[in-house]
Amino acid sequence: MALQCRLSGATFQSLKLATIPISSSSSRFIFRTLPKTLNLALFSRHSAPKAPPFSVLIRNLSAPAVAAAPAAETSDIKVVKPQWNAAIDFKWIRDNKEAVAVNIKNRNSNANLELVLQLYDKMLNLQKEVERLRGERNNVANKMKGKLEPSERQKLIEEGKNLKEALTTLEEDLVKLRDELQIEAQCIPNLTHPDVPIGWEDSSKLRNMVGSPRKFDFPIKDHLQIGKELDLFDFDAAAEVSGSKFYYLKNEAVMLEMALVNWTLTEVMKRGFTPLTTPEIVRSSVVEKCGFQPRGENTQVYSIEDSDQCLIGTAEIPVGGIHMDSIVAESALPLKYVAFSHCFRTEAGAAGTATRGLYRVHQFSKVEMFILCRQEESDMYHEKLIKIEEDLFSSLGLHFKILDMATGDLGSPAYRKFDVEAWMPGLERYDIKCIELYRLSEPPAWHSLSSIRITLNNFQEG
Amino acid sequence: MKGKLEPSERQKLIEEGKNLKEALTTLEEDLVKLRDELQIEAQCIPNLTHPDVPIGWEDSSKLRNMVGSPRKFDFPIKDHLQIGKELDLFDFDAAAEVSGSKFYYLKNEAVMLEMALVNWTLTEVMKRGFTPLTTPEIVRSSVVEKCGFQPRGENTQVYSIEDSDQCLIGTAEIPVGGIHMDSIVAESALPLKYVAFSHCFRTEAGAAGTATRGLYRVHQFSKVEMFILCRQEESDMYHEKLIKIEEDLFSSLGLHFKILDMATGDLGSPAYRKFDVEAWMPGLERYGEISSASNCTDYQSRRLGIRYRPSESPSTTSKKGKTNLAATKFVHTLNATACAIPRMLVCLLENFQQEDGSVIIPHPLRPFMGGVEAIYPKSR
Repeated sequence: MALQCRLSGATFQSLKLATIPISSSSSRFIFRTLPKTLNLALFSRHSAPKAPPFSVLIRNLSAPAVAAAPAAETSDIKVVKPQWNAAIDFKWIRDNKEAVAVNIKNRNSNANLELVLQLYDKMLNLQKEVERLRGERNNVANKMKGKLEPSERQKLIEEGKNLKEALTTLEEDLVKLRDELQIEAQCIPNLTHPDVPIGWEDSSKLRNMVGSPRKFDFPIKDHLQIGKELDLFDFDAAAEVSGSKFYYLKNEAVMLEMALVNWTLTEVMKRGFTPLTTPEIVRSSVVEKCGFQPRGENTQVYSIEDSDQCLIGTAEIPVGGIHMDSIVAESALPLKYVAFSHCFRTEAGAAGTATRGLYRVHQFSKVEMFILCRQEESDMYHEKLIKIEEDLFSSLGLHFKILDMATGDLGSPAYRKFDVEAWMPGLERYDIKCIELYRLSEPPAWHSLSSIRITLNNFQEG
Repeated sequence: MKGKLEPSERQKLIEEGKNLKEALTTLEEDLVKLRDELQIEAQCIPNLTHPDVPIGWEDSSKLRNMVGSPRKFDFPIKDHLQIGKELDLFDFDAAAEVSGSKFYYLKNEAVMLEMALVNWTLTEVMKRGFTPLTTPEIVRSSVVEKCGFQPRGENTQVYSIEDSDQCLIGTAEIPVGGIHMDSIVAESALPLKYVAFSHCFRTEAGAAGTATRGLYRVHQFSKVEMFILCRQEESDMYHEKLIKIEEDLFSSLGLHFKILDMATGDLGSPAYRKFDVEAWMPGLERYGEISSASNCTDYQSRRLGIRYRPSESPSTTSKKGKTNLAATKFVHTLNATACAIPRMLVCLLENFQQEDGSVIIPHPLRPFMGGVEAIYPKSR
C-alpha cells in the first residue's frame, strides 16, 4: 500500500526525503508501490508525527536540492522535483561501484549507493520499455496509412489508443524516476585523491611547517585585550546594534584591513589572477550547486526574506557562478580569479567551539582565489595555490603548518583539501586560518580577518 | 484604614478601596494603550525644517553652488556601460544569472579603482579629524527604524533576513547611528566624527522606470560615509563643514557638479536640511546624484536615545546639600556621503574617457592604484 505524505508548501524546501528500495521490479507501475517517508526531525516542527513503518534515512552533509513545487498529481506518491540537475556520470558510477562505495564510507557520507544503482538500472529498463512502446506505436501508425478493412482499422485504432495511454504513464514514471535518481545521486561525495589520509581530523597529515613559535620574554595578551587597549574594535556596541559575533573595526584596524586586502590583491594579481568584486546576494540554487546547504539544519547560510536569495559565505560561490551553464574555450583555460568580498555566516551549531572575539564572527572580509582549469591540471594548480598561500603568510612573518586533511574532514565537494593553521599565541594553539573551501581547484587565498587577528596576535602580542 | 474604625466603616472603606483599585487598573491599562497609540502617531511627524529651505518639490530645490563646467568632447563619447564593456571592467550578464538584475561584478582596473577611491577617501577624511570605522552590515530592524527608515513599509528599500528581526543596511549611517544608542555622551567628547566604510544593500523597489541603467542603480555597492554627533548649537555649522568636505573631495577628482539645497518635499522625515551633490555624467547627458549631506538635528537621537550632558551646568545645592546635574540634551546627528563607488565610477569613466578608448585616472587616486595613470584597452 502506498504511503501518502501530505506536505504543506512551506516545508518542501527543508524536506529531506528518504526512499527505500523498491520491492517489486516486474510491474510497469513500479512507482505505485514505492513508499516515501519523511525525515522525523522535520516532523517536530509541524503537526503530530506518525512513526513511519520503514526505516528512515537521514541526510546531513549530502542532502540534495529539492524544489518547493508540489509534486505531480497523477500518482499516489508525491515525488519532489530537483530544482536543478547535476551532470552525473551514472554509467561510471555503476562501472566503479566498489571504489565509489569505499569512498562514501571513508567520507562518512550518507549517500545511498545501492539505491542509486537500483534506480539507474530501473531507469535504463524503463527507457528501453518506453522506446519499445514508441516503436510499436509508430508501427501501428504506419499500418493505418494503408488500405484496411473497417474492423481492422478499428482494432488498430484501439491498439494505438492503448499504446498511447501506456506510453504516457510510462513517460511520466520515467520523469519521476530520473528526478529521484538525480536527488539520490547528488548526495554522492566527490572522489578522493589517493594520497589523502583516511579518517577524521586527527588523521590529517602534516605537509609542511614554516617558522617557529615566537618566544616572549614578557606576559602576552590575546587579541581582544590588545584591541581594547589600542581602541581597535567594539563588540559591545555591535551586540546592541546587530547581535553577538558582530563588531566594528576602528582606527588602525580599519587601515590594517585595507592594507591586507590591497596587498593580497596586488600580490595575487602579480601571479596572473584577474581581480574581481562580486555580488554578496545570490540565488540559493547557485549556493547549492557549489555544494552548500542553504536550507539544511544548522545551515551556515543567511537567507533573504520573501525571495530565493541568500547571502554568500564566501566569494567562491559568486565566482563559481560566473561561467555557469557555459562552454569555455580550452584556450581560455586556466581561468584564474582573485575575488574580494564580504562574507556572511550564521555560525549556527558553532556554540561551544572557539568563538572568542574575532575568531568566529558573522561577517568578515575575505580575498579568495578561484581557478577553473583542464582536468589533467587540477592537481598541479592545487600545488600552485598552496604555494601562493605559503608565500603570502611567510612574507607576513607568520608561523604556520600546512595539513593534508583526512577524508572525514573533506566535505562533499573536495577531492583534496589543504588547511593552513597559524600559531596564535594569545589562544596558545594553532588554529585554522584558511578554513574550508579547498575544493578541487579552489583553495582560498586569505581569510583577511583572521589575518588581522593573527597579525595583531603576533606583532602586538609580540 | 490605618486608624481605629468601626467594623461597618472598615467594611465600607474596603469596598471603596476595591472599587478604586479596579478602576485604577483599567485606567492604567488605557493609559498604556493611549501612550502607545500616541507614540505611533507622533513618530510619523517629520523633523522641523531649516528656515532657508525652499518649499516645494524637487524642481523647487535651490542651487547653492556650481563647481567646474561640462567637459567639451571633440569625439563621439560613450556611456559607462559601453566603456566598461570595451575595457572589460564589469559583468552584468553573469551577475544577472547568479543573483538577478541590478547586480554586477567589477573586474580588473575597476576593482583597483574601487579600492583606490575607498582608500583615498578614508585617508582624506581622516585628515580632517574623523575616526575610521568598518561596521556590521546586518543590524536589528529596530535600529533601522530609529534612524528613520521603514524596513516593513511597502516598496521598502530594506532587505530583511529570513526568520529573524535583522535587516541588511542600506547605508553605514544606520550602524554608526547605533553605536551610541541609549547612552549619555560627555559633552567634552563632542563632536564625535566618524568616517565609515561599508557595503550597502538596497532593494530599489519602486524604482522601475527611473534611471536604472548599469551602475547608476544597483542593489549592492560600497560607500564611505561621514557621520557626526554634536551639540545642538553646532549642527548647522557642521552641516556646512560636511558639504565643504564633499566639495573638496569631488573637485580634487576633477568632477563638474552642482550642490542643491533640497526642497521640503524631498527631505524625507529625518532631515532638517539636505544638500545633494549632482555630478555631470556625459554618457547619461545629465546630472546624477552622487552624494547627499543631511542634518537630522535630534530626529534620530530622540529615537536612538543619544544624549549628552552639558558640562557647564549651574551647580545648585538643594536643601540636602546635593549638587544637581544639568538636564541632558539630545545630540544632533548629521550624515554625508564621502564616496558612493558605483556612481563615482560612472562619473570617472564617462568624464575622463579618451578618444582611443582609454580612461585617465585622476591624479589623487594614482598613488592608491600603484601609480597606474590610465586604463587602456587590452589587446587580446
